[in-house]
Amino acid sequence: MISIMFSLLLVPLFSALLIFLIPNSRKETFRPIGIAFSLITLTQCVYLLFGEYAKTEFTILSTFQWIQSYGINLHFGLSGMSTLLLLLSSLLVFVSLLSIGKDHSESKGFVGSLLMLHFAINGVFISGDLISLFIFFEALLIPMYFLMGIWGGENRRYATIKFILYTVFGSVFIFIGTVYTAVLSFGVNGRLAVDFETLSSLSLLESQSKTLFLLFTFGFLIKVPIFPLHTWLPDAHVEAPTAGSIMLAGVLLKVGAYGILRVSIPFFTEGFLAYKNLIAILSVIGIIYGAIVAIAQIDIKKLIAYSSVSHMGFVMLGISAGGFLSIEGAIIQMINHGITAGALFMLVGFIYERRHTRKISDFGGVKISMPRYAAIFLFTSFASIGLPGLNGFVGEFMILMGSFNSYKILTSFAAFGVVLAAIYMLWAYQRMFTGPIKYEENESLSDLNSRETASIAPLVLLMLFIGIYPNYIESFVIQEASFLSDTIAMFKDLK
Amino acid sequence: MTTVSEILGINYIVIAPTLALLLTVIVLLFCTITISTPMYVKKYVSFVGILLTLFTIFLKFGLFLTDGISSYFTEKILLDEFALVGNVLVGMVLLFTFNSFWKTSELIEDKTTEALILILMSASGFLLMIDAENFIMLFIGLEIGSISLYALAGLNRGDQLSNEAALKYFLLGSLASCIFVYGIALIYVSLSIIGVYETSIAISFIGPDNVPLTTFVGLILIIVGLLFKVAAAPFQAWAPDVYQGSPTGYVGYMATVAKVSSFIVLARLVAVSLTFIIDQFDLFFGAVVILSVLAGALFAANQSDLKRLIAYSGVIQSGFILSGISSGVYGISASTFYLITYIIQLIGIFTVFSIISGQLSSDFQISNISGLFKENKFITITFSIFMLGLAGLPLTSGFVSKFILITNLWSYERYILVTVLMLTTVAGFYFYLRPIWVAAVEKTENVVEKIQVKNSDKLLLGVLAALTIYFGLLPDSLVNITRWMVEGYL
Repeated sequence: MISIMFSLLLVPLFSALLIFLIPNSRKETFRPIGIAFSLITLTQCVYLLFGEYAKTEFTILSTFQWIQSYGINLHFGLSGMSTLLLLLSSLLVFVSLLSIGKDHSESKGFVGSLLMLHFAINGVFISGDLISLFIFFEALLIPMYFLMGIWGGENRRYATIKFILYTVFGSVFIFIGTVYTAVLSFGVNGRLAVDFETLSSLSLLESQSKTLFLLFTFGFLIKVPIFPLHTWLPDAHVEAPTAGSIMLAGVLLKVGAYGILRVSIPFFTEGFLAYKNLIAILSVIGIIYGAIVAIAQIDIKKLIAYSSVSHMGFVMLGISAGGFLSIEGAIIQMINHGITAGALFMLVGFIYERRHTRKISDFGGVKISMPRYAAIFLFTSFASIGLPGLNGFVGEFMILMGSFNSYKILTSFAAFGVVLAAIYMLWAYQRMFTGPIKYEENESLSDLNSRETASIAPLVLLMLFIGIYPNYIESFVIQEASFLSDTIAMFKDLK
Repeated sequence: MTTVSEILGINYIVIAPTLALLLTVIVLLFCTITISTPMYVKKYVSFVGILLTLFTIFLKFGLFLTDGISSYFTEKILLDEFALVGNVLVGMVLLFTFNSFWKTSELIEDKTTEALILILMSASGFLLMIDAENFIMLFIGLEIGSISLYALAGLNRGDQLSNEAALKYFLLGSLASCIFVYGIALIYVSLSIIGVYETSIAISFIGPDNVPLTTFVGLILIIVGLLFKVAAAPFQAWAPDVYQGSPTGYVGYMATVAKVSSFIVLARLVAVSLTFIIDQFDLFFGAVVILSVLAGALFAANQSDLKRLIAYSGVIQSGFILSGISSGVYGISASTFYLITYIIQLIGIFTVFSIISGQLSSDFQISNISGLFKENKFITITFSIFMLGLAGLPLTSGFVSKFILITNLWSYERYILVTVLMLTTVAGFYFYLRPIWVAAVEKTENVVEKIQVKNSDKLLLGVLAALTIYFGLLPDSLVNITRWMVEGYL
């Protein structure tokens, strides 16, 4: 199991380096090589699903001595949530490599950066201590910087720098939090031990717990993003290339929520109890605000970006409610949103490659020329809205059920987010796909070819599978969710 | 039986690096004034001289093993951990910058030997400064080193900016020297002492609370003199002009050698002389640190000249290093780690600059590297690694050094300093990523054409970039060395 865990890091890194070494004259090989290696990672992740750590809470499996004189070690481990997110990220890397158009797939830098991004994301999800978590969290930025900067849209310079500065600003707080925790841990253990096992045995004062919770959570919330800190997201999504958007919405946003679930809540629970109402209020504002702004968008990519703000608001609401059901729902919603948002961005990418516009008003009646595409788009929209029987329903329903006990009014408001989602998604669908064809350019649009269908198919199947049989995905997160909710309940009782 | 030389403490091994450099200089001088020497002879003579220096530094380690911390030449030359680390660093700087400064000197045809002599002399001066126990000796070393650097800055006579740089460097540098000497005089007047160790003994004798104001002012003036050399704000004004104007091939050497030796001396001063009264300097150091990082970040944000940008980033880095030096013994070790990783990146960056714009050029606009990546992949990748290292991104040594440093500061409860330093890091991402953007990301019509990079340059850049990554992934060895340096001063 340990060797598989490390190969999740090394295979993407190795494949990225391999692609950088292949001469540009063989550029048609970049995509097959990338796909082959991401398939290896994907298989390994599937194997992890059946391994012994797939349903447990976080277990540290391996330790490296890093800076001996300070007693800093690097730890790596696995858990149910990590396994699911690893699987999600590998799947999304695989499908985005499959889906990208020729101008991207034949560029060494693009495929290489995507694989480097995969490396850093896998690193985040197997990190067993704050320092390695931070290292990989920051290392995400560099491939993302190149993906957005080189292959982005018109206004990419502004969007990239905004994205980088926002994230770095947030990570500074995580960094200070890490340093603070390390110094506190030094007082107890005599070394700067910040692995997750040591941290759970660290008894903190309430003020320390509050400060640390704020430091870490602020950094992670920027990444989520929560309502007032979300402004980087629409810009980043609009300017990023399709594969970058898929990874950004599919996995990078989850890194923030993952950090809160992995670090902020279990180790700084008192801080969580003190600030959870604030987070809940902000998330509900995010749900409603994101949905309303999404209705008003004229750019389909921006619409999906704002819908991400809304959907991630659900995740944060579930987390802040802190019950078993709501946390479980939040984790499942993280996965589900990764799948649906990834699929939506991919679909937008397909039509952008054909028409080179993303304005909703430039389309209309596309269903006639691209029937298969329209069907898949409608299906994915339903999943995103949360139609029962598809995956979006499972997570949002569990979150709303779970948080109703703690926040009756807030949850009632949040439920309107589902209705609003139906408005913005279906209205956009109606404007883009139904009716007669308005513009001549849209008449000759070719429907999805087999490669594109193949790349969207796994996501569509997963939406259906999770929607029909949510038990399966739930079984991986039960233990972790109950651990988190028990911790929260325990601290509540202490008070 | 004690001989006179034993009483005087004459020991040639302890000053052997300086002597080796002097010997090289004399040979070079001899070659030039007697017979016409081909270029390659000069090259090999100076390179062998540098290798000889490194070897003699190695000998000093042997001496240290037998003698421990000891002083020689009637308490003028000191052999301690700081001296050893400083010597190695100066030797390494000479070795790593040899490629650049040799090629620059080769281009200044009629002054090749002079340039080499100036560089080797300045290195010998800085070595002497690092070894000095006596403040006078310290001053002599500093002057030998600095005066050569002033001349070096103006060596490209035809270039107006180069002349300006030399003059500014000279005027402000002499002012710093004046301040430095005045500080020594004040200490001597108040306590009749003139040595690094004597100062701490005297202070412990009269008690930390009874230190006369003159001593206090004297110590501050000495520190200010050194802060001039490392370009910490508010003494940074010369740095951008000097970096910009001096021949690019020399700047890497000029910037690093002065920083290394001044910081090592400063660290020793703090660890030894000021041990008992360091608390009273907290405010002073804190103010300098905050000023440095703020001024550096503010000015660096809108520079269009990359050499100036690096100069201002140097101001920020000086602030970072200083913050560690002034916070405890482990802070000094963290700062030394920071210093070492920083000079590696600095040398790398200036090597890249001199490859791109030629050794003798003065200003280096950001447009010089627009579209660099298209034809010159290797240079751009190494350059990006150095810049990301300066920014402090994880997986590079810059992150590890910042992490250790900030951890130390936090354990010393310097929360304000930590906040300011970290905010500067965010700002840093803005201006450290901009050159990468221009070089690799931005699409542009007029790209830099393919530059022929010599294998020696490639090797050098490869080694420096590899070290930047290596110390980011496996910093243990270097951390241990810096910890060893300070262990005796706990």
